[in-house]
Amino acid sequence: MILGIVGAGQAACTLILELIRGNFRGQVLIFNGEAIPPYQRPPLSKDWLQNPSRDRLNLLPKIIEQDSRITWISRTVTSIDPGRGTIRTRDTAHTVDHIILATGTRAKKLEIPGLSAQQNVSLRTLNDAENLRLNLAQASTINIVGAGFLAFELAASLSKFGITVRILAKGPRALPQVGLDTAEYLSSRSDALIMTETRLIKFDRKAQSLLSNQGPISCDLVITAIGSEPNIELAEASGLATTSGIPVDVNMQTNHPRVSAIGEVAEYHHTLIGKKLRIESIAQANETACILATHLLEQQSVRHKIPWFWSNQGSEKLQIAGFSERSDDSFLLMDKPHQRVVLRHKDGRVTAVEAINAAREYMAARRLFESNEKSISLNTVQQAGSIFSLLQSSSS
Amino acid sequence: MLYVTFIDPSENEIEANFEPGDSLLQAAVHAGVDGILAECGGGCSCATCHVILSSAWAGTLEPPGPQEADMLTFAVDPTPQSRLACQVQLKTEHNGLTLNVAKRQY
Ligand SMILES: Cc1cc2nc3c(=O)[nH]c(=O)nc-3n(C[C@H](O)[C@H](O)[C@H](O)COP(=O)(O)OP(=O)(O)OC[C@H]3O[C@@H](n4cnc5c(N)ncnc54)[C@H](O)[C@@H]3O)c2cc1C
Ligand code: FES
Repeated sequence: MILGIVGAGQAACTLILELIRGNFRGQVLIFNGEAIPPYQRPPLSKDWLQNPSRDRLNLLPKIIEQDSRITWISRTVTSIDPGRGTIRTRDTAHTVDHIILATGTRAKKLEIPGLSAQQNVSLRTLNDAENLRLNLAQASTINIVGAGFLAFELAASLSKFGITVRILAKGPRALPQVGLDTAEYLSSRSDALIMTETRLIKFDRKAQSLLSNQGPISCDLVITAIGSEPNIELAEASGLATTSGIPVDVNMQTNHPRVSAIGEVAEYHHTLIGKKLRIESIAQANETACILATHLLEQQSVRHKIPWFWSNQGSEKLQIAGFSERSDDSFLLMDKPHQRVVLRHKDGRVTAVEAINAAREYMAARRLFESNEKSISLNTVQQAGSIFSLLQSSSS
Repeated sequence: MLYVTFIDPSENEIEANFEPGDSLLQAAVHAGVDGILAECGGGCSCATCHVILSSAWAGTLEPPGPQEADMLTFAVDPTPQSRLACQVQLKTEHNGLTLNVAKRQY
């Protein structure tokens, strides 16, 4: 089974980790749209600004990253075709058995008239965080638009740089994700000045201040932290069902059997809550990835095998691959001193291989029987002269 | 007590006791080592008891016989130090031997 994972964030990496731990026997193509190896996002708004080491953020141990089952493709996926199992980038196309969308979300942007892109930043990626750090040297006052967790975390980190921070909330209170008590407590503990009911009108470049319904608010830099939007465009364009995310069933499958979605982008029925949810958290990323990994590993555990048998008779070791009826014909393929290989066959197909002291022929037959071709033509083996060389030529 | 050490696919080190004449597979099964399937139960007919001798011990075992060598070509990513645990007879001088269990058996 070849899996194609779109996105190399938290959910994708947990999926890979679980698959490798679970002895996954297929191959994985993983498309990383960012130019750096997978990293953890949570530290970026917390202590990372003080202690900006990239290594500390690594999501995957080297040994997993370099596993031979995984192929990293450093490209953004431009389209998927669920029917054909195709994943396209700007200049490449790949065919897989199953597509996994782990595209996450992106920061919502807020246009503020008069404010240049350099002065209006957001924080989602390591690249964003590194940019923000470069900007800090020139900043003495920063306004954070939005009053959620990200805003509060950033305010706490930025204050450590001696920067004056304001949190501008559009609504009547900060931290609407938590109860009023909790929000009030955290607001009282924050180093930032919190302004509620604040509507921004524009940025006055000369005065370097934001004009708002509450009057001018001076600042060197604006950080927008007003939430995120799910990256569902690939799903939409390929005709998959979408809502505020990508709806999936209990096994993380979308409405197309060849496509699953995990992480923040997936909207799934949370059994313990009893509702369809799309939660933006590490916990959701990891849980959805683990559910999918279990499902994929269960599918592979049903490994169909052909019958095989062996018998040691003194110095003669007989090994049989396949299943023949008594009436099947025999063809002596190899007859060397102490080594014999007999093909049992019917209607031009090999039904079983009887190998005496010829383990390679026996194992090659097992592999060929279990490969996609499933049946071996008598003619081709006769021409190849040995099953092992037939296997080698068919796998090269 | 004589022992060999297996490093399983999750990097756990397990000490397995043996009597001279036991196969590596028997020692592993008794110690409950993870990651060895041994689908044919020691018959040199499945290649799912693949272990890899640690480099410090390279060359200390008798080389694999022709049957084992043939089977090993079908193990997953075999190396020159690969062995089928069921085909290695342990002797007193193997006390302390260290082996990695193959990451995958198929
Ligand atoms: C600053 C910050 C702090 C956070 N703090 C916390 C916290 O304290 N606690 C918590 O629980 N959560 C926190 N989160 C949220 C958490 O990081 C996310 O919930 C989690 O990363 C989601 O995982 P994911 O795999 O769904 O998405 P992501 O980790 O965002 O990964 C998606 C990846 O897909 C890539 N991608 C998208 N489209 C394509 C494409 N077409 N082709 C190729 N690649 C593509 C993206 O570039 C991205 O790398 C924080 C997030 C941020 C940004
Ligand atoms: S147990 Fe089957 S080859 Fe060793």
